[in-house]
Amino acid sequence: MITFNYICSFFLIVLGFYTIVTKYNLVKTVIGMSIMDYGVNLLIISVGYNPGGTAPIFTAGELTKASYFVDPIPQALTLTSIVIGACVTAMSMSLVIRMKESYGTLDTREIRRLRG
Amino acid sequence: MNLMNLMDYHHFPIYSIMVLFLGAFVVAACGTKPSKNLKNPAGARAWIALLATALSLFFLICLVKPVMLGGEIIAYWMGNRAIAGGYAIGIALEVDALSLFFGLLIATAVFVSCLYSIRYMVHDDCVPQYYTLYCMLAGGVLGLVLSGDIFNMFVMVEILTFAAVALTAFRTKVYGALEAAFKYLVVGCMGSTAILAGVIMLYAQYHTLNLAQLATLIPGSMNNATKLAFAFLYIGFSTKAFIVPFHPLAADAHGAAPASISVLISGVLTKSGIYGIIRITYFLFQTMGLGTMQFMLVFIGSVSMFVCVTMALAQHDFKRLLAYHSISQIGYVLAAVGLASGLGFSAGLYHAMNHTLFKGLLFLAAGAVLHETGTTDLGKLGGLSKKMPHTTVLFLVGAFSISGVPPFNGFASKWMIYQATYQRAVETGNIGFLAVTIVALITSVLTLASFVKVTQSVFFGQLPAEYENVKEVPFGMRLAMGILAALCIFTGLFPRLVTTYLTEPAANAILNVGSYIRSMGFKSELILQRADFSQAGVWEPVSWLLILCIALLAVTIVAVASKYDSVSENREKNVAAKYQLFYGGEENVFSQVGGGDLFWGFKHNWRHYFGFMHELHSGVVNDYALWAVVALALAISFMMIVL
Repeated sequence: MITFNYICSFFLIVLGFYTIVTKYNLVKTVIGMSIMDYGVNLLIISVGYNPGGTAPIFTAGELTKASYFVDPIPQALTLTSIVIGACVTAMSMSLVIRMKESYGTLDTREIRRLRG
Repeated sequence: MNLMNLMDYHHFPIYSIMVLFLGAFVVAACGTKPSKNLKNPAGARAWIALLATALSLFFLICLVKPVMLGGEIIAYWMGNRAIAGGYAIGIALEVDALSLFFGLLIATAVFVSCLYSIRYMVHDDCVPQYYTLYCMLAGGVLGLVLSGDIFNMFVMVEILTFAAVALTAFRTKVYGALEAAFKYLVVGCMGSTAILAGVIMLYAQYHTLNLAQLATLIPGSMNNATKLAFAFLYIGFSTKAFIVPFHPLAADAHGAAPASISVLISGVLTKSGIYGIIRITYFLFQTMGLGTMQFMLVFIGSVSMFVCVTMALAQHDFKRLLAYHSISQIGYVLAAVGLASGLGFSAGLYHAMNHTLFKGLLFLAAGAVLHETGTTDLGKLGGLSKKMPHTTVLFLVGAFSISGVPPFNGFASKWMIYQATYQRAVETGNIGFLAVTIVALITSVLTLASFVKVTQSVFFGQLPAEYENVKEVPFGMRLAMGILAALCIFTGLFPRLVTTYLTEPAANAILNVGSYIRSMGFKSELILQRADFSQAGVWEPVSWLLILCIALLAVTIVAVASKYDSVSENREKNVAAKYQLFYGGEENVFSQVGGGDLFWGFKHNWRHYFGFMHELHSGVVNDYALWAVVALALAISFMMIVL
């Protein structure tokens, strides 16, 4: 089952790349970045998954050799990554708004004052 | 716990990072209302930022004695959570000579640039917010190079990318600032995502994020997943170093950002990328003896060198030109580091240091010109040496350094790079390394040519009437430039001191991965080795200067003796060729060749190449993203085949 997760996560990453490369609308570019991010998040959370494991919430007394739980570190990493992803979206959307104001368009092919 | 414990130098790495983030916080807490002082609208915020950067530099300088000279590697577990059950649980900082070397570079550049920005940022709005982001950027880069934990490296990469993007975009009225920031954000984000994906693939294999522990586990058990991870990490750090094919982003970002931030982007951000590449290739994956990896790094370095210097020749904007030169010099660093020999490491790191110094100086000089004249267009400037003599002299020091004129520092490090590539060619009998030496030489010549053009068109020649009232920049800005110029001259005159106390310990640190692992508390079989630096630096700056003077004199004598008069003899021919090319044959109108157009003949002969490159660097973000994806695909296929 977990293999399917890996396939999906890489599919999402590649889909994000595809969106960024082929779509000429700035908002779609931002969506592409988000999809790419979600792909990586799915990858992280899948890495820590143990089939049948419980939530990794134990106090010292409850923890025994037989305790079987999912790896908590990837969950912490995912949280960090989600926060960063939200920041990326916020920052890029604010840039898109300002660009729409100053260039009057959202087409990436027309936003190319700097080149060569 | 007594107070003396706190002043133990083992705590200094975390202090040096902390003061910067604390500085960012305190500056932000000061609010956003500009101060009434017209000479310093940021008020106390500027001084807080300056204090934070100075303290950070101080803490790192204190570490020179134990780490550089004593050879100690500081392993510092945050919250004292050390290894449990053979696994690194806590987050670690690990400072070896390599980390400290980059840390010192970064702290110096950050401090000088902060000093400069106090007077430079006077005319900007949003100055209060500027220092918050400034400290965040500095803290992010410093955190990256001192970290001993790969996920921490990713977090720091994100912080520095964010701060850099914001600092590029915050002057929204500047031509192209938003656009440059957006392009940088998109491709930078693809890079960061690649780093994160690489990190997590390594975690899936080895269940640890600690660099030292990864270094013990990876080399013996390479599989396809780790190779994939390596490709992702490599591309991620390449975007941070702006090496080919990510160079257009650097050019855009530099052009739009304030000069003090350009110093950080070129002198500091690129170094963090180079540091990341060194860490993953030589520490995590230990590809030291692998010819194919050497080939890849040296090849990409050489391509960066050459492509960017030719791109720079075609530029008409002062800061864009400097930006391309910056990446060209990073190509030198990467090529030298890719040689994987003691001399190569020493040369590459020496050049990395020089790059921070002279490139910082040049960007600050460009900023001074922009500050006084309001433009960086080479076609509009001219004759500023009469109005800004100090800036001109300081700029010339930087220009001589980057062009590798003895006895400035660029000469010493470039000389070592030629030596290192040549030595490698002799050792392996591979003609390819000799080609790298030649490419490096040609690039150096083209760099000199390009700076002749800049110097001529900005500081000499005719002074346009509109700049009659231009004044010299304030003392604070000249002081910052003076510090960097003095360091350029010092490191050029005393290369032995630099190599002995800074670059050779760092080069030895790269070669001795075993001690890096052991000082963190893990086991390693890798033996201690010392590189042979006896060949390094067989040079005499003063005698080379003499040779240069003699050659110049000889050329002058020949020119005078043969009554060579370039203007009267060549005017007809020049005018004809120039006007056919540029203005469609209006030959009766006479015009001098402008300073910014000094190499029109060269450009004419290479017009197909320049035209092609101009088309390629289209400025559309989709194209740059496509380059990133293609680079990633190539890197993955390369790793799968060779590793």
